[in-house]
Amino acid sequence: MRGVCAVTISLVACLATARPAGAQTPDRSAQEKPDPVQQLPNPIGSFLGMPARFGWEQSAGALNTSNAQLACAGCPPRRVGTAFLQTTGINVLYGLGNLARGQVTARITPETWWANMQQGMVWDLDDFTVNQIGHPYQGNNYFNSGRANGLNFYESAALTAFGSATWEFFGETNHASLNDFINTTLGGITLGEMLHRAGWLIRNTHATGKRRLWSELGATAVDPITGLNRFMSGDAKRVTDKPPEFVPSSLSGMAAAGVLWRGSQSSAFTATGDPFLELDAYHGDPNIGRSRTPYDAFWLRMRFGGGSSFSEARVRGRLYGQPFANGAFQFSVIQTYNYLNNDAYSTGSQALDAAIGTTRALSPRTSFWILGWGGLTVLGAVDSLPLGVTERPVEEEPSAGQGVSEGPRFYDYGPGSDFGALARLTHDGHDIAMFFYLGRQIYSLDGVRANHFLQQARVDLLFPLRRPLGLGVSGEYFSRRSYYQDVASTVKTYHYPQLRAYLIWRSR
Amino acid sequence: MKGLWMCALACLIPAVAVAQNAPPAPSRLWIVAGAGAGTLRGHCRDCAQDFPFRHGPAIAGDAGFRVSPRTDIGVDLFWMQWRNDSGRIRATAIDAVAQFRPWTSKGFFVKGGAGMAFVRNWVHTMGPHPDDSKALAVVFGGGWEFNPKGRLGLQLFATQHVGALGDLQTVNGAIADVTGNFWSLGAAIVIR
Repeated sequence: MRGVCAVTISLVACLATARPAGAQTPDRSAQEKPDPVQQLPNPIGSFLGMPARFGWEQSAGALNTSNAQLACAGCPPRRVGTAFLQTTGINVLYGLGNLARGQVTARITPETWWANMQQGMVWDLDDFTVNQIGHPYQGNNYFNSGRANGLNFYESAALTAFGSATWEFFGETNHASLNDFINTTLGGITLGEMLHRAGWLIRNTHATGKRRLWSELGATAVDPITGLNRFMSGDAKRVTDKPPEFVPSSLSGMAAAGVLWRGSQSSAFTATGDPFLELDAYHGDPNIGRSRTPYDAFWLRMRFGGGSSFSEARVRGRLYGQPFANGAFQFSVIQTYNYLNNDAYSTGSQALDAAIGTTRALSPRTSFWILGWGGLTVLGAVDSLPLGVTERPVEEEPSAGQGVSEGPRFYDYGPGSDFGALARLTHDGHDIAMFFYLGRQIYSLDGVRANHFLQQARVDLLFPLRRPLGLGVSGEYFSRRSYYQDVASTVKTYHYPQLRAYLIWRSR
Repeated sequence: MKGLWMCALACLIPAVAVAQNAPPAPSRLWIVAGAGAGTLRGHCRDCAQDFPFRHGPAIAGDAGFRVSPRTDIGVDLFWMQWRNDSGRIRATAIDAVAQFRPWTSKGFFVKGGAGMAFVRNWVHTMGPHPDDSKALAVVFGGGWEFNPKGRLGLQLFATQHVGALGDLQTVNGAIADVTGNFWSLGAAIVIR
């Protein structure tokens, strides 16, 4: 009960940061009269002793006259205290949600907080999807409470770590989890910046009326925290330019829908195909330019269907870009989020890569681009079964109560490395052939004692029909070798081919 | 230990005075060196034993550069040693770390990072030869920096380092799923 009281107070504090949407005028620069609502002193901000320029005391008048405090006309004012409080509020909302679902892990008290702090961090036994998708998504909300309140990428990254750590120690009765902390923080940064930029693509800040409302609602669906902040502050109505930081140098995408035939260890391919939908988005051009703006260029891939409802998600965001050799080559540092679920293996990881790429013009209309990379996997997860077990047993209902994971857990966690290559042959600006290879090694620190080496190779051939439509076929090969650390040093190998045929729709 | 504290204080006092007289030249350097008190608690999933807290001196430091007025990135070093009846045990963690100061004029900071830890022996020394283990390491913490705008300052910090050892190989066999949590409280000199 005391815990609930504490979180309720935090929630109220968080909501107190909101400014009424109705108090805003459409154009901040045209606003002359300070809003009386904004002039009221904010007791929470005063109590915390925050400087006016960072806290809730930022009045409408101040916004109007001190654009120097804004990074740009359409940028939110910098509110560090609000960002921290909203991050805490997000934790409160997640906790209340878990409590409403009847999860016993949500029954937090100061005693559970103290017990968690005394115990420190351990590995948890949660479900693969919860850990590899759920936690990064939760982290994205922390990250965007920073972005929505004017913090830059790296500051928001720190805020994500803060939100993640406080959730682990104070949000649940479970012991704080090391894998959750890493997945929430690093995955949250990757998904957060990607979704924040995607939200800015949807948002039309020059529109008014219903068109504007729908664009803001669409952006809010993608990036809820930024959207809610904009509705609360009135920015969702204000006509301004988009922040230049969020206008990509180029934008393209491809949707592919078709059928996929999977192979297995015992047979070449399944008789019946599985439908799938795959989406690729390219924000900015990662192949050129000196860049110090994180995620000014990123690539997103998502696949639905093809053996499981959600089978693939990849985000590769550029943190740093620098051309060299007179611009012939491009060096980049890339942060990646990976989730892949297929018959060969289920894996998820957070990694940092260094990449070198080059573009060669083969003719005035045809060019070839190749990128190679290698890096560190900070934490990777891969499904596995103990030696001697051939099938994953059906999980029983937890006896310790809903929300308590008791194991066993059929996937391993550990750091590792990765390397890969991506090549694209382009004609008239359209990809006509693509090659992708990825190798990933995960050294299991928690789970079955093994060193896993995962490989994926894929070749796509694309045939343009009538623009923007086309046809595509692809061949894929998944391979997995697990080197078990048993007495016999057992090595197990799995390999699965996969074929696809699909219709594509391209956008430039 | 006492000498370290004296040294830190002796260095700090004149530096603060100098920093107040002249505005510091912009520097991207970020160096932190200090010491404190550490506490360790070991854990393994299948162990029936409940490991006690163990205490010892710790040395902590950072080296890196400033990427923005509020953000520093670099390498974090943490070293802790303690003794028990069976011998001497130590842990060293080297992490890539980012430090964030929400307010440039105030000293509050949070930091976090990940890297590797090297552990010699564990909560018990087992056998005549030391058992060396490598571990995935994570660090997070916070604190307060005095004179955050000056070239030289002092910080009080509280950090938690986590070391995930996986299988701990000992002369008595492997112990699975071992993690260690290291808490430290201390003070450090900051050079910018």
